[in-house]
Amino acid sequence: MTYFFIIVYSITLVYFALTERVKKFIALLAIQGVLLFGIVFFNLNQIALAEFLFILVETIVVKSVVIPVFLNKVRRDNKLKRVHETEIPVFYSIMAVTGMLMVSFFMSNYLHHQHIHTKFFTVAIASVVFGIYFIIIHKNVFSHLVGYLIIENGIFLLSLAVGSDIPMLVNLAVLLDVLMGVLVIGIFVNRVSDKFQSTNIDELAKLKD
Amino acid sequence: MLGYYFILTVVMSGMMILLKNRTFNLVAILLFALVQAGVTVYANLNFDTTDAMFFRYDSLGILLTGVLAALTPITFYHSYLYLKRYSPALSQQSIYWAALIVLIASITGAYFAENVALLWVCVEVTTLCVTVLIFHSRSKTSLEASWKYLFISSVGVAIAFMGILFLTAVSVESGPKSLDFTDLVRNSQSMNSTWLKIAFLLVLAGFSIKLSIFPLFAAAIDAKTIAPSPVNALMSSALINVGFVGIFRFYSIIAQTDAAVWSQNVLMITGIISIFLAAIQLFKVKRFTRMYAFSTMEHMGIVCLALFAGGIGYYAAILHIVLHSFVKSGLFYQLGQSNFLFKSIWVRDSGAYFKINPLGALVVLAGFFSITAIPPSGLFVSEFMIFKALFLEKQILIAIIVLVLLTVIMFQIGGFLFHLLFEKSPEHLDKTTLQINQYETITQFLLLGLAIYLGYSPPGFFVDIINSAIAVIQ
Repeated sequence: MTYFFIIVYSITLVYFALTERVKKFIALLAIQGVLLFGIVFFNLNQIALAEFLFILVETIVVKSVVIPVFLNKVRRDNKLKRVHETEIPVFYSIMAVTGMLMVSFFMSNYLHHQHIHTKFFTVAIASVVFGIYFIIIHKNVFSHLVGYLIIENGIFLLSLAVGSDIPMLVNLAVLLDVLMGVLVIGIFVNRVSDKFQSTNIDELAKLKD
Repeated sequence: MLGYYFILTVVMSGMMILLKNRTFNLVAILLFALVQAGVTVYANLNFDTTDAMFFRYDSLGILLTGVLAALTPITFYHSYLYLKRYSPALSQQSIYWAALIVLIASITGAYFAENVALLWVCVEVTTLCVTVLIFHSRSKTSLEASWKYLFISSVGVAIAFMGILFLTAVSVESGPKSLDFTDLVRNSQSMNSTWLKIAFLLVLAGFSIKLSIFPLFAAAIDAKTIAPSPVNALMSSALINVGFVGIFRFYSIIAQTDAAVWSQNVLMITGIISIFLAAIQLFKVKRFTRMYAFSTMEHMGIVCLALFAGGIGYYAAILHIVLHSFVKSGLFYQLGQSNFLFKSIWVRDSGAYFKINPLGALVVLAGFFSITAIPPSGLFVSEFMIFKALFLEKQILIAIIVLVLLTVIMFQIGGFLFHLLFEKSPEHLDKTTLQINQYETITQFLLLGLAIYLGYSPPGFFVDIINSAIAVIQ
């Protein structure tokens, strides 16, 4: 079952490269949240109950509901429909994401380590690298926020891959921090849109001397 | 103690935003400055003990909290002046004060964080607070700077978190599963060096935005271009020190392993690239804030080289960041005055500062000698030690390259500051309206004087605490 979730997660990365509709980006992030919930549900049931429940809530409530709902609000407020500022053709992006998945697969085998779960590690690294790629190829602040969330989801998978044992209280602080970060970034997307009448990143280039 | 401190900070900042009362704001910041000093004293009295489960009062934390406690009331004073001059709206003032005290508390948390992940949390909170403070003027440029800082910092800190996760993986095989720095340093010798190297690279890249060095320096430079001068003073001192703490603590882990030399080489490359880029960028700079931001980058590059050199370089690195904190914040407070007088941060809009504000001009002149490490600057002592360490390690070529770059930087900074001091005053300037309270400069003289005193005649406890901080990597 875990492999099913991981494969579907990889497919969402490819789909991110395919689509240009903002609504689809948000839907894909919500799907990733559900997939992460599934992965946690089937893999972490041996940890302490409170911690297990916390991580389940983090994935199903925060990643699948709270963040997508908030992003949807930002999308509606700024009347964002389609992001077509990328200069890279879709075909090349699909090739790139496939390449990232392959490279991270080989890398995780090369860096074989007894305490690292390769099945999570492969897709985690691909997700982080793809998130950075997504930010680079898009020229829209909203897409940058989406890219940041892809990175965050990749890092969540990475924490499963290395079996991180961060204390519950600190984990809560990490979650709150990330959530606050996303909310503040979202608010700033609104501000950028209001001030510059656009969410294109090219507008934000006045500071250079 | 730290638990109560954080609760008090959150309550005070919340009440500031809710009440929007000028008197309450002033009482709260005075109380906070006292509490901040109290935390420093308490930490010193409880040296090497754990507090609030995940914090520990170690030498480096105590030293840097001491620096922060000294800068806190001065920052509050200059912030008060800044808000009086530029932001009469009470709601904006309240948000400013609230964000400022949370920033100071999160910086304190980062200094004392014993748990790696908690350090990350504190660093992320500093990003959010700084973003609010940069956006204070609500202008287009402040929005641009805030967006870039927030976004690049968030991505950078996320990368640093990956490094922390890799560290988790290597810590498992070396003993009990703990992410406390003390345990990690103790168990470091049995860690897998490949994974440790990856973790170090990611953490260095992630924290580089806080330390204002290569590779993620750009957003920090833009932020400092626009931030209010008292915020700039904190960002270029206490917040820079947060970046140093992050990198230093990870370096303390890797320094015990086979990868120590490798990590020193990485620091050397980072340091040289940072100094080189600062030197190049200074040719393009047209604003004082940007010039000081690149000067900070240069100094942090030197600190990286000090860690690379090792030996006496470790002592010099910590001395350098302490002295740099006092000098750079003093210069930024003074920049607040000159910005107010010239109504501009652009170099072209300044001139004849000796005639307009003689005491302020003296601070700038003393600041020029201090920041470029010309005697009697305290930074001369630390830089001298760093070059001595480089020569002792037979890194003569690196020392010569850096000396050439520093000469270029000194020439450029001198050009900008002497333009401010001695050029003709701009024609559009209405000299009848130029009034400033000369007592404002007292704090700046104090900070520059403190840097000279600590450089040339450091008190015993100051030397002891630096030696204690570096004991872990020697």
